[in-house]
Amino acid sequence: MHISDGLMAPVIWIAGMAIALAFVALAFRRVERRLEDRTVPYMAILAAGIFLAQMLNFPIIGGTTGHLIGAALAVALLGPWGAIAIIFTILVIQSLVFGDGGITALGLNTLNMAVIGSLAAWGVIRLTPKRYKLPGIAVAAWAAVFLGATACAIELALSHAIDPSYGIDGIIALPSMMGLHSVIGIGEAIITTSVIAFLAKVAPETLGMAQEKAKGEFDAT
Amino acid sequence: MRRKVIVGSLAILLAFSIGLVGFFAVSDGRPDGLETVLEEQGVEEQQPVWTAPLDYGSDYFTALAMGIIGFGLVLVISFGYLRAAKKQQGTK
Repeated sequence: MHISDGLMAPVIWIAGMAIALAFVALAFRRVERRLEDRTVPYMAILAAGIFLAQMLNFPIIGGTTGHLIGAALAVALLGPWGAIAIIFTILVIQSLVFGDGGITALGLNTLNMAVIGSLAAWGVIRLTPKRYKLPGIAVAAWAAVFLGATACAIELALSHAIDPSYGIDGIIALPSMMGLHSVIGIGEAIITTSVIAFLAKVAPETLGMAQEKAKGEFDAT
Repeated sequence: MRRKVIVGSLAILLAFSIGLVGFFAVSDGRPDGLETVLEEQGVEEQQPVWTAPLDYGSDYFTALAMGIIGFGLVLVISFGYLRAAKKQQGTK
């Protein structure tokens, strides 16, 4: 779901960059405030692991593939601000070093995958009763992908409405993006839930480690 | 802690090297959700504003090497930033 250069109208990617950077600045501030010595390597490894997971596309329907975004996984382990910070870091390296996602689209990619993905996952997790932790994480992962893709479709539609040489008509963009990503989201839900269930068995101390001080946030243990 | 970081990193890289086999077996060269929508509408990819020095590679061993490089970059940059932020927090 990485947007490349030249796809969106300038006013859309500039607005996306401004909104995304505001959230990223807030996220880094919140993360820095709560940082503990033992969580530093843990957050770095999680970020690096999500980078690798994003490289591994899995097949869905009709020759299309999807890949893990990792926002829900990061939210379940670090809380929303930690998730936004590490997904942003991954997106910057993907764009600058590997050409995955355009530089001008970095703000929109951050907005869709890091900000909207993380906040959607966090909202679902917060609303889930504690006795339904794993199903809640599955729904959160699905919602992160679906709402991120819906945002991307809206950006495509707005770009096209501003200048038809950009984006795609909303009548096509919205159902296509939402339809495909409702299936890709199932893959995200399966992977995220499996990783959390696995960590709960082999390294339960890692769950919720980086959000102990985050009052009221989700404790996946 | 250092031992846990090394063991954790090796476990993730091992899982990636196995997952990459599956990727090349069933997903390589196939578009993702956004790319599928763009292809169906005949939207062509534009020239990137920035030419990245690396790409993910088109065969198993190149992709594995790129994965290791990317993993290392994300790990070092994240760790360096967070470590510096923690130190700064301590001096305040």
